[in-house]
Amino acid sequence: MTQTDIIALLAAAVILPFLAAPVSFVVPRFLASIVCAASSALSFAAIFAASVGYTMDGKQAFSRDLVSVHGIAIFGFTVDRISVLIGFAAGLVGLLVCLYSVGYMALGNREHPEVGKPRYFFFMQVFVSAMAGLVFSSTISGQLFFYEATGVCSWGLIAYYDSPKAIAAGTKALIVEHIGSLGLYFAAAMFFVSAGGFSLSALGGMGPGAKTAIILGILFAAWGKSAQFPLHIWLPDAMEAPTPVSAYLHAGSMVNIGVFMYARALLAAGNVPHVVGAIGAIAATFTLVYAFFLYLPQLDLKKLLVYSTITQLASIFLALSLSTFGSILAFDGGVAHIFNHAFAKSLFFLVAGCLSFTTGTRMMPKLHGLLAEMPLVAIGFGTAALAIAGVPPMNLFFSHFAMLAGGFQASRAYWPLLILVGISILEAVGTFGWFLIKFGDAVPGPASPAVAGATALPVTMAVAVAALVTLTLASGAFAAAWMG
Amino acid sequence: MQGAVLFGVGVFQAILLLLAAPLYSGISRVIRAKFHSRRGPGIWQDYRDLLKLLNRREVIPAAAGLAFRATPYVVVVAMLVVAMAIPAVMVRSPVAPMGDLITVIFMFAMARFFTALASIDCGSMFAGVAASRETTMGVLNEPIMILALFTVALMSGSTSLGNIAAAIHAGRMPAYAATLMAMLAFGFAVFVEMGKLPFDLVEAEQELQEGPLTEYSGRSLALMKWGVALKQLVALTLFIGVFIPFGAAVALSPVALGLGVLILLIKLLFAFIAIAFVENTMARNQFLDVSRITFMGAGAALLAFALSLARV
Amino acid sequence: MPVLALLETSVALYTIGGAGSLLLWRSDAAATLFAGVTSIVAAILGTAASAQVLIDGTGPSFAAAGPIPFASFLLRFDPLAALLVLVISLVTLAASLYSLSYLREYAGKGIGVMGLCFNLFVASMVMVAVADNGFYFLLFWELMTLTSYFLVIFDQDNKAVAAGFLYFFITQSFSMLLMTAFLLLFIHTGSLDFSSFRAANLPPWLGSVIFLLTFFGFGAKAGMVPLHIWLPRAHPAAPSHASALMSGVMVKLGIYGIIRFAIEILGASAVWWAWTVVAFGAVSAVLGVLYALGETDIKRLLAYSSVENVGIILMGVGVGMAGIATGSPVLAAIGLLAAFYHTLNHAVFKGLLFLGAGALTFATSTRDMARMGGLARRMSWTASFFLIGALSIAAIPPLAGFVSEWLTYQAFFATGMGPDFTSRLFGPLAAVMLGLTGALAVMCFVKAWGLMFGGAARSEAAASAAEVPVTMLVGMGGLAVLCMALGLGAPVVAPVLSRAVAALRKSGAVEVADGTVIFPGDVHQAVLSTPLVAVVMVCLVAVPVAIAAMHRGRRLAPRIVPEAWACGYDHDARMTVSASGFVEPPDVMFRGLYRLRAMQGPVGDTLDGSVIVSTEAAGIVEPLWNRMAMWVATRGVPFIGQQLQVMEGGNLRVYCLYILAALAVMLICVVG
Repeated sequence: MTQTDIIALLAAAVILPFLAAPVSFVVPRFLASIVCAASSALSFAAIFAASVGYTMDGKQAFSRDLVSVHGIAIFGFTVDRISVLIGFAAGLVGLLVCLYSVGYMALGNREHPEVGKPRYFFFMQVFVSAMAGLVFSSTISGQLFFYEATGVCSWGLIAYYDSPKAIAAGTKALIVEHIGSLGLYFAAAMFFVSAGGFSLSALGGMGPGAKTAIILGILFAAWGKSAQFPLHIWLPDAMEAPTPVSAYLHAGSMVNIGVFMYARALLAAGNVPHVVGAIGAIAATFTLVYAFFLYLPQLDLKKLLVYSTITQLASIFLALSLSTFGSILAFDGGVAHIFNHAFAKSLFFLVAGCLSFTTGTRMMPKLHGLLAEMPLVAIGFGTAALAIAGVPPMNLFFSHFAMLAGGFQASRAYWPLLILVGISILEAVGTFGWFLIKFGDAVPGPASPAVAGATALPVTMAVAVAALVTLTLASGAFAAAWMG
Repeated sequence: MQGAVLFGVGVFQAILLLLAAPLYSGISRVIRAKFHSRRGPGIWQDYRDLLKLLNRREVIPAAAGLAFRATPYVVVVAMLVVAMAIPAVMVRSPVAPMGDLITVIFMFAMARFFTALASIDCGSMFAGVAASRETTMGVLNEPIMILALFTVALMSGSTSLGNIAAAIHAGRMPAYAATLMAMLAFGFAVFVEMGKLPFDLVEAEQELQEGPLTEYSGRSLALMKWGVALKQLVALTLFIGVFIPFGAAVALSPVALGLGVLILLIKLLFAFIAIAFVENTMARNQFLDVSRITFMGAGAALLAFALSLARV
Repeated sequence: MPVLALLETSVALYTIGGAGSLLLWRSDAAATLFAGVTSIVAAILGTAASAQVLIDGTGPSFAAAGPIPFASFLLRFDPLAALLVLVISLVTLAASLYSLSYLREYAGKGIGVMGLCFNLFVASMVMVAVADNGFYFLLFWELMTLTSYFLVIFDQDNKAVAAGFLYFFITQSFSMLLMTAFLLLFIHTGSLDFSSFRAANLPPWLGSVIFLLTFFGFGAKAGMVPLHIWLPRAHPAAPSHASALMSGVMVKLGIYGIIRFAIEILGASAVWWAWTVVAFGAVSAVLGVLYALGETDIKRLLAYSSVENVGIILMGVGVGMAGIATGSPVLAAIGLLAAFYHTLNHAVFKGLLFLGAGALTFATSTRDMARMGGLARRMSWTASFFLIGALSIAAIPPLAGFVSEWLTYQAFFATGMGPDFTSRLFGPLAAVMLGLTGALAVMCFVKAWGLMFGGAARSEAAASAAEVPVTMLVGMGGLAVLCMALGLGAPVVAPVLSRAVAALRKSGAVEVADGTVIFPGDVHQAVLSTPLVAVVMVCLVAVPVAIAAMHRGRRLAPRIVPEAWACGYDHDARMTVSASGFVEPPDVMFRGLYRLRAMQGPVGDTLDGSVIVSTEAAGIVEPLWNRMAMWVATRGVPFIGQQLQVMEGGNLRVYCLYILAALAVMLICVVG
């Protein structure tokens, strides 16, 4: 497969869902979900084929500019190991979530019994396309465009249920993400001023001052998208969204945009000034500790998962920031963690969705004894909880170990970093303990009344959950081998 | 060849102590009687008691099982093994591979284990309490024994009882005060192990309705009584053989051995008389207070150890 | 068959057995049989492989790249690992035989899953023993903890889940110490391979840090005081065949880790390390048996007893380390030999005792010793096997436990003969602690066996108990025979283990046996011949038998009376000694040490309290930032807007003034 073929496949992956999105308004209501699932399947198939082609080619990284104005590239694609890995994950999670939505957005849903409206599937498909576009984008202008596109989609999807709380949550999300995007605008402007273009590869050749300014701008935008302190306030309220949206946007894809852009910038920059790493690391550690303490009062499963997402992303930010002190292992571990976390956290959110679908509640004090009544959901819950807790053979153990090893490596340059790594280890122990308690509460033992009265689980939802369980168990070694 | 002869000496030593045990416990009884202004039953009474018991039928509670029935044999065998191994007649252990101080102490533990087990097994409440007390005495006593013996063992360079006895006999101990203190501490421990007042009144256990012997009768009681008497004698012989080896045979000749036997019997006699004097001036202590007294013994042992460290 | 192939087949069989058990989950009988048979075969292969390595005194290694870029898949099957694999295989063999009928108790509760967890547990333990790379070591270590966690919470009641949480949380948090130690070595040497750890030249302070991290990390798994609190809760909660493995084998892997790191990798260079190990060992030994004494639940008693025996092994390890640090090779060899021997022995007799406890639960449906009694008549085989186990653990000659405790005492003696003052001080004191432990252990197991098997039945269940099925008896019987063999066969076993010690220290083996006699390196120091003791004891039985035979013609046959003597009153079952009554004297005498355990309460309360306070604080903080941001939006912006509104006076003339002013500014800018 030639490089042109790969680019063509990726272009198809981006454009196809975008074109299929308006179709949701035209077809009969019950077909809209099928169309959505089909287009996301095709998009993923294209990405998969492109990944295979890339691997067969000997994993050679390359870029291609697609749209240029006056010689300045505006849109382009970069195909390298991190974009293929994250693109694959985002595409696969997208497919599984769309498949899941076929069953979830139906009248059988005890928490929100209604058939899915067309605009849900419209926004989902636009999102699939925007996500693919952003991950493979080779220019900052392209990243900016797709960044804003995902922001609009998240507004539409969060506010989907039309209740006052949902609409407020959607608006808040849009505003906060847009504040974050100011950083990206600033970075794009600095790009143009320093390098005369928007191609990310130009970052490598800039002076330290420009690099610092640009990467800090990107970092600020990343904080907005990945819900790091102080721009994290939109994510807890975003749980008003339907659960598949939470799984996709707020676990599997959109929040990964932030860390991904940061990783891409660090990779392109090569030698990053230590002040950037220091700022990133300290902010990440603060968010880590802050979000951990916010686990404690949560009774709603989805809110707990939100804060868990924030801490996991914070640890990725920490690892990526520490990699600037000279540890490639930290970088590779961080990117692998994005991959692994996408599957594990989406699984957990989909499990939460299964629980609200079948029992009508997400409140953890009411959910006990899952193993007795719904073994598949219980296995999903257990796998996801233990994965977040960092226990092998689940995938997060492998990347977390790599991140820690990288953090230790980085501390050779500057030993006070070891304090930050130590704090992250303590937080990991705390997370482990908390999720183990939740697992012990929810899964074993006799079923609580809410669970005992659960309805049956639709096939599409079960398939999605089963697939993610398999992925959570298998992807750890795969990601480590890919990045190495 | 020499090994076989020594083994023979060991067997002889064991049989000697077995046969002499009732005599010495008889002597103890008579001395106590004299203290009580009685005439006493005579020093050969225990032999007569044993023969009488062997004539009687046994009465066994239904609850009693194998542990109860096996214990008399186990106790006798354990004490005989110790008797074979300690340096009593000679200034060396007749069967050295069994004559290590750890082995000997654990043989006593074996006797204690089975005695306590049998006491619980028979279902008698008196014996059950006795089992608890027996094992607690072991807890309090064993550390003292170990520390005292370890002190002299370290000074002589070996844990084999024969080597320790030889070192003391030859005057090769580097610290005399430590050896003396260890002797006092171990003597105290042996006194406790023998079950003398103020710790226990072994001889009256059936009359006072307490003790491991409560439910035994007939031939089992004969064996147990004999075993207990043997245990007392063996414990004392251990003490005398290790710490006061003067007069025991050094060479393997019949003359030396005969002399050694004689001197051993005389030393035991004096020791029993001395012990009888000590125990008859005391009353039985409440059991839970016993630990205060044993701490004295522990203190003596620790002092011995400290002195040995200081090489005094 | 080459040793490595045997080992690989063994691990593969365990995994297949586990997977098969899960696939056969619909049929309890099929799952039990499949899992049991595969693990029996696998255990036999494992025994063969490890025995071969131990006899040879050297073993193979294996290296592969593996999928992880920063860690290569390395295995090292040296004699130390072989000892652990032997221990694992022997107990697994007995436990698997046992499980063939024991699992009937768990019918309908998910035997398929239990088979999976059990087999994977054993497989991961074997892999931990042979792993030679830090990453894979931790991977299998955590897998081992995960699978045993599922076994602990198998009953799914509140106590089991709480016990499982405590177990998993404590061991996992302390595994973080291990991870930190490995990563510190990683940045120092650039690789996670144990071989590069070995070759690393560490500055002394770093060596001490790594020692402390690994000592406490592994010590938590070994159940060392004060990190033992999970043990008495977790081991009883698991099914008995799993408890046998957890208590007999898994805690040994903690000790294995300490030996591997402190001695082999770090070289035991500082003497204070050795005394630290001895100190923790002594405290664990005494406190462990003291707490065991106070228990009425047989499995909790056995769990605490494991704490005690781990303490004894650690004392041996510590003395070995002291020998290495002070340059006394014989002391080092004897201390480690005692530790190795006790590791092997304890696994065998603790496995036997746990299987026995399981048999008792199977027969009487209770774990409370106070509700049993009189079972020796109804379950005579179990009673005999349990007695052998109890005698071994109380170190009664000539059984297994006695030999390893004898060697430990000899190690302390050799320490006492050492060149420096600390050795001469600590050696005999350690011996006294061990003596105290031994006496308490005698009391503890007299109580256990006596109350459960002796006397009269104290409950309906005990009165109607039946002997357990054959496979359970065979499992226990095998271990009982092994107890006797390890005791009587000391002259054969000791040299093999001495060679293993020599391989660990990379030096020549110390002579420890000659014919039927064993001695601690120096014949003059001490000698012991367990076969001789056994033979003499058996022969001497003739003496009391002869005495009892006297006058046999003259006396009547024994008469059985229904009750023991109760001073003329009617005998009542409640009159017999109770579990708590039996231990009242030491309870009173050691009251202070029992109070130590009560201190755990306040610590737990403080932790709970801090969680509650943190939760409330977090609940308050959570909306804070949100509200601040919202305040800006809902109050700040309108406020600014209102201020700016002043500009909109409504007066047309003012607006014309604005236009003129703007024009003026623009002209100035353009011109200027």
